Amino acid sequence: MESTKSKKITAVWILTVLVLFIVSIVLGILMRLNQGGSIEQTPISFYTNMTTHGMTMIGIWFVAGMAAINYLLQRYIRTSFTINVVALVLTVIGILLFWSSTFIGKFHAAWTFLYPLPFKQMGAESWATLMFLVALTVLGVGWLIWSLSLMTQLLKKYSIPQAFAWQHFRKNPKFETPPFILITMITLVGIIACLISAVVLIVLFFAEYFSSGTFVNDALLMKNITYFFGHTIANEMLYLGLAVIYELFGEVSGRPKWKTTWYVALAWNFTLVFILTAFFHHLYMDFVQPQGLQIVGQLASYLASLPAAGVTVFSVFIAVYRTEIKWSLVNLLFFIGIAGWVIGGLGAVIDATISNNFVLHNTLWVPAHFHTYNAMGNVLFSIAFFYWFSTRQFTQNFKVAKYTKWTLALLLIGGIGFLMAFYIAGADSVPRRYSIYPSEFTTAAPLANLGAIFATVYLIAILIFFFNISKRCLKILSLPS
Amino acid sequence: MEQRSILLLFLVLAGAATIVFTLVYLSSRKPERSGQGMSNPLNKRFWFSLILFVILGIFSSVTIPKSPYYLFADETPTKVIHVSAMQFAFFLSENAIDPKSPSNETIMLPANKLVEFRVTSMDVNHGFAIYNEANRLIGQTQAMPGYVNRLRFKFKEPGKYSILCLEYCGMAHQVMRSSFVVK
Repeated sequence: MESTKSKKITAVWILTVLVLFIVSIVLGILMRLNQGGSIEQTPISFYTNMTTHGMTMIGIWFVAGMAAINYLLQRYIRTSFTINVVALVLTVIGILLFWSSTFIGKFHAAWTFLYPLPFKQMGAESWATLMFLVALTVLGVGWLIWSLSLMTQLLKKYSIPQAFAWQHFRKNPKFETPPFILITMITLVGIIACLISAVVLIVLFFAEYFSSGTFVNDALLMKNITYFFGHTIANEMLYLGLAVIYELFGEVSGRPKWKTTWYVALAWNFTLVFILTAFFHHLYMDFVQPQGLQIVGQLASYLASLPAAGVTVFSVFIAVYRTEIKWSLVNLLFFIGIAGWVIGGLGAVIDATISNNFVLHNTLWVPAHFHTYNAMGNVLFSIAFFYWFSTRQFTQNFKVAKYTKWTLALLLIGGIGFLMAFYIAGADSVPRRYSIYPSEFTTAAPLANLGAIFATVYLIAILIFFFNISKRCLKILSLPS
Repeated sequence: MEQRSILLLFLVLAGAATIVFTLVYLSSRKPERSGQGMSNPLNKRFWFSLILFVILGIFSSVTIPKSPYYLFADETPTKVIHVSAMQFAFFLSENAIDPKSPSNETIMLPANKLVEFRVTSMDVNHGFAIYNEANRLIGQTQAMPGYVNRLRFKFKEPGKYSILCLEYCGMAHQVMRSSFVVK
């Protein structure tokens, strides 16, 4: 059972995530306004905003997913409150150091910090790269400790075959692994793998930084490690959200709890394999990369959609189709989020096709698809959890209020409009990560302005959710211990 | 596939997904009397997954052979262009480029003949992206320090082609560009 202090730390996580989310959305809107010519930022200011926006978004939605599974895991196992606090403190310190490196030090190598750009930035303070690497170390250490702690606690109760639900491959298994445990285990393995790769990456950066030119890294190897880390963490945060859906969808809908079957176990075990190998699609345009790995990238990206569609999405359909479901804001957000995840996935699969990537890579098609499954997928999964968590402490009534329907409408209109501006510009070959557009791209600036307007509508919806959720989270913080 | 066709394909698929989700949602407003929902879900799940698997298999077998690595792989290029990128300029030459004193030449290429671009970088990662006169991206490769990527291409239309950097490379990334002419 969850204790009051566990509720309080979860409330602090939620408040932290939402405040940082709003700041990051504002940075995103400023970027689009600058690209549209409506405001004027210096290129360095634009690129520091871009770096801050990207890294903060990845960080907050990762910790949002982690905080949610940490809270829900207490239904099955004991988790460490101290480690949860350590992760929170290190995340806040890490973000403050990172923001100092960007806003004060003008570090602007993007959240992917592709080697050797962090060492060759013009216009940044000399200490900014070191500060960035220290920030990354602090975040990495905090998240690795947290993930390892959760996995250790999990393996104290479940054996490795049980945690991976391998007994479900036999007929009539004697023990059922809850789907939440299975997905959490699969996701934690991926997270720990990518965080270890981040450690290797940081060590290689530090080694070159302190070698005074005697040690130089290999650019292709660094790119592979960078994308193994970056791709995996950006995907695992979605899977953390899915774990929450498997645990809560049936419960909040007044429907039976989802069960692990042989095909659920099979799908999630394969998901781990595909998720760890799909990152090669980020290197399609590096023709020196072994061709076999490029093909693995396309096949893994395609195959990753099979367990997602055939098991998770289909399970949502079964849970909803012609059933007497109790709709509330929680399962409505889960449902819309799944649709956003699917549509973003379609854009991703199209881009993960090597022959398409040849004409789409690093155009605005890329932010188009990843914003779809993040802003209209993962964010909704987490907001659903935030709403469920903050409301259930005071009432079991999750009914959709009239004004909530308007908030959802704003979220959908703002989200779809802002994404369409990206997709159309991507199809017009407009480059991504340009502070301003060359004049020959005639549609680029108007689409950027349109994107900013729709993103503002999306922001209004998020602000309404924020006031609603944070009001109750603050009440939780004032509960007697 | 051209970008406009890709956008159309995406919009059709996204539209179909939206319709399915909407219908599933609306069906819950009129639930079955038995409350059992979907009949024989395991069977339907199997067929849905199998059809998806077959579609993905067909897409893979059609698209993978069209990957840029296999374009004109068995032919000998008529012309080789050396490309060396640095913050924030491209150097193009018909001869190998000396990184200590890189020089840039005006490049003229023949139409309908195979050209090979040998692309590298002298500092950070850059993108070497070719845009036609209609400002449509027609092909690209990365410019990576320590490596040479070979991009082979046949230009069908004569005209002026632009080269833009498509890998973020720092504060003047957005103005890093060059061009060549196809006759």
